[in-house]
Amino acid sequence: METQMPSELERLYDEHALALFAFILNFTRDENDSRDVLQEIFIKLARSPDLLASARDERAFLLRLAHNAAIDLMRRRGTRSKHHGQFGAEQSSAFAPTSDPDEVAFRAALSAALGELPADQRAVVHLKLWAGLTFEEIATTLEIPLNTAASRYRYGLDKLRARLRPLYDEIK
Amino acid sequence: MNPEAQFEERLRRQPLRKVPADWRAEIMSAAHTAGSRPSAFTPRPSLLSTLFSPHPKAWAGLAAVWVVILSLQFASRDRTEVVARTTPPPSPEMLMALRQQKLLLLAELVEQPEPRAADRPKALPPRPRSQLRPQFLNI
Repeated sequence: METQMPSELERLYDEHALALFAFILNFTRDENDSRDVLQEIFIKLARSPDLLASARDERAFLLRLAHNAAIDLMRRRGTRSKHHGQFGAEQSSAFAPTSDPDEVAFRAALSAALGELPADQRAVVHLKLWAGLTFEEIATTLEIPLNTAASRYRYGLDKLRARLRPLYDEIK
Repeated sequence: MNPEAQFEERLRRQPLRKVPADWRAEIMSAAHTAGSRPSAFTPRPSLLSTLFSPHPKAWAGLAAVWVVILSLQFASRDRTEVVARTTPPPSPEMLMALRQQKLLLLAELVEQPEPRAADRPKALPPRPRSQLRPQFLNI
């Protein structure tokens, strides 16, 4: 189809890859898995050029594809996925590296704290804070009720606050 | 701004990692290759699935409700019409007999004399009242 020629696929990559990569990386906690999921999304788009035709919001639709693909991957990995939360702190961070020592410490602590959250709370927290989605959009993207999205965010944020409060107060 | 909102804002301001630069070419290449040949694993969505893609569960639910409604309607259908349709029409002899019976009835009605006044009910002598009741009351 005309709208999904290679240039259109590249446009989609240039506009959304950063957000998708960060979300997938935060969800899977593994760079190789993130690459696989990202590639799977774009292969799906190339094979089904009209996939985005019915989407009202391109970004939200692609995040939904990413979420579903990441869940599928984690299921395929089986036992490994059970330890995602447990060993999240040791795995890939979704945040940019920095030379500021305070920021390095804060980002490392934040990444570790995110790794300790259950995957469903981590997904909601990420979509709210770093993808800028509203609770309605998060509910649609993750196919959960609106109240569930709001409560997962609240629980997740409370845990992050409890975990990061000492460091946050120190470097504020 | 309250401390809670400040904390949230601090988190929000954390910059995200960039996608490794070499991924773009690799992913695009893989996507173009996959897109140029038909997939053996992921069939193209059918016309129906495209039509119902936004909320397939809602459509399925609606279809199920319609099936229930139609089956209930079918189960509680009035079969009188079917019975009437299957009954054979009366024979000409029967029609003739019915017509004669009707004429006879009409003739009887025409010839019947004026009805006389109804007999007044006979005045019955008063019956003695039961003696048992007072006895019961006395007990």
